[in-house]
Amino acid sequence: MSQSNYRLIKTLLLIFLGIWLVFTLFPLYFMIITSLKPVEEINRMIPTFWPHTLKLSNYAGIFADPGSLKSLADSVIVSVANTALSLLLGTLAGYALARWIRGAAGENLAFWILSNRMFPPVAVIIPMFFLFDSMPWGTDSYFSLIVLYLVFNLPLATWLMMVFFRDAPRELEEAAYLDGFTPLRAFFRVTLPLVFPGMISVAMLCWIFAWNEYLFANLLTGTTVKTFPVHIPTFTLGSQSLWNLIMAFSLVAMLPPVILFVILRRYMVRGLSLGVVKG
Amino acid sequence: MARLELQHVCKGYDRPILDRLSLTVEEGEFFVIVGPSGIGKTTLLRCIAGLEVVDAGRVIFGGRDVTRVPPYRRNAAMTFESYALYPHMTVFENIASPLRARRMDEASVRKAVLEVARLLRIEQLLDRRPHEVSGGQKQRTALGRTLVAKPDVYLLDEPISHLDAKIRHELRRQFHTLQELRRVATVYVTHDYAEALSLGDRIGVMGDGGLVQVGSSREIFERPNSIFVARHLGQPSINEVPCRLSRDGGALTLRSLEGSLSFAMNGSQRTILEKVRGDVLVGIRPQHIHVANGGSTSQIDNARVEAFEALGATGVLIAETGGVSLTVLTSPEENFEPGQPVRLGFDVEQFLYFDAVHGRNLRA
Repeated sequence: MSQSNYRLIKTLLLIFLGIWLVFTLFPLYFMIITSLKPVEEINRMIPTFWPHTLKLSNYAGIFADPGSLKSLADSVIVSVANTALSLLLGTLAGYALARWIRGAAGENLAFWILSNRMFPPVAVIIPMFFLFDSMPWGTDSYFSLIVLYLVFNLPLATWLMMVFFRDAPRELEEAAYLDGFTPLRAFFRVTLPLVFPGMISVAMLCWIFAWNEYLFANLLTGTTVKTFPVHIPTFTLGSQSLWNLIMAFSLVAMLPPVILFVILRRYMVRGLSLGVVKG
Repeated sequence: MARLELQHVCKGYDRPILDRLSLTVEEGEFFVIVGPSGIGKTTLLRCIAGLEVVDAGRVIFGGRDVTRVPPYRRNAAMTFESYALYPHMTVFENIASPLRARRMDEASVRKAVLEVARLLRIEQLLDRRPHEVSGGQKQRTALGRTLVAKPDVYLLDEPISHLDAKIRHELRRQFHTLQELRRVATVYVTHDYAEALSLGDRIGVMGDGGLVQVGSSREIFERPNSIFVARHLGQPSINEVPCRLSRDGGALTLRSLEGSLSFAMNGSQRTILEKVRGDVLVGIRPQHIHVANGGSTSQIDNARVEAFEALGATGVLIAETGGVSLTVLTSPEENFEPGQPVRLGFDVEQFLYFDAVHGRNLRA
């Protein structure tokens, strides 16, 4: 390819990237400035893209509101507990499927587990409500949400962990057996560290689902337990939406996933591409 | 006491791989198994290690029946063809692994690992990870991991096949000098006949279903019990000339089925072939044919050069005579042009004769 062609393609790519950046970053920018504006400026017919006044009082309002803080805490409890359970059960099940359940039985079982992710969640929302309503702990509890999210996260975690375990060379485990490690010790010493980046990816995917889930949380819970996505609509009072508070609260709720992703990015990339290149 | 015994071991998947294989490797013996790839050499090692459960038969370590004992209680150490080093651990931890399994205290672990690393000359690499060291160093690490374990049985699966020639020679020499390997039963698997002949106290040639011949390197090379064994040992490989015996009064002559090569049989050769009925497969090693310039051996004048390769230490000449192509080992200094006439001399005394149907050695 000639030098000028190369330059042209590079320029076009940069232009495309620029448009894409504006497209993705503008909503975020608008969220941030809205969260910093006073209500009067938000309610103008013509929105201001460069705010006249900036104030942090919206954030102060959020952190002073016990309801908002409790909803964030509820979200943390539900999402962390659910992620831990998904990861624990998914890792064990994935290992069993990858190593011990051989042949057609294993293939079919694995596919059946994944197929649980394929129905539209709305299809089971009413049955789920009645099911949890008939349980001793009821619908409006941490336990109900933690268990309910397993329905969605566990198949994904199991399937992904199975793929990661399949890609981990079996010979390394066998070498550990010959070193004198029992299968259980070999699993923790050799196999688990190999799939650790994969586990981080799975944990992130599960956690983000549980953190952001709105539909089921809204239907099942709302009084005793109220995760943050369920809390956001409460900033709408009759005909008026408190956009400044909605945006401030949403931004606060966005921070944990962003921070976690930045910290764990290294593992995420390695985990999701695990098995792409053998090495 | 660590003598390895296999009694009538059977193992198969969709087809039988080991069929009633019996073998005893004495304590201190270095036993090499050689055979074409895919024949089941690795399966045999895995059965000894306990990674595969045998379908029938018994595996015995020093009098202890371990047939149903899982690999982590057998006290066998094995190197894998892929090395199977733990990528997330340093070279030190890789070597230390068998000691960690026994929960040995830190000071003893350090001492044992350093000792082995010094022996294998990898002590400067102990803090590196497997992906940061070369192929030969990986192999030494894998070997270190087996040596440090002080097992009853060493199992080495193609340990030096994937290394470049220089390191392969160095490690081959090291195998000769490692006293640790000389104290217990060692089973070493390779597809490289030169490695087998150089290392083995005894060699087992593996064919379909098990060991076709077991013996010292000399026995196996000079008196192969079948054409399969003869074919597998030696580079360039043995010339195979299907022949028919013709008796004309007192004279016994071998004539090739294709072409017009013929040899008159005298002396000891004659006694071997006298009782034979039917056709004979004659095996002539390339080193038992030479380019002649007069002399007393059986000679053929009408040969022509087909190709010549000078390979550094030796030369390989392909010559055609009477419609038969023969590989001849020569000195590399010689030079032959295709089409050039040559005179070939044969060491008839060294010829091997095989049953044309079953490939059995007729001398045996």
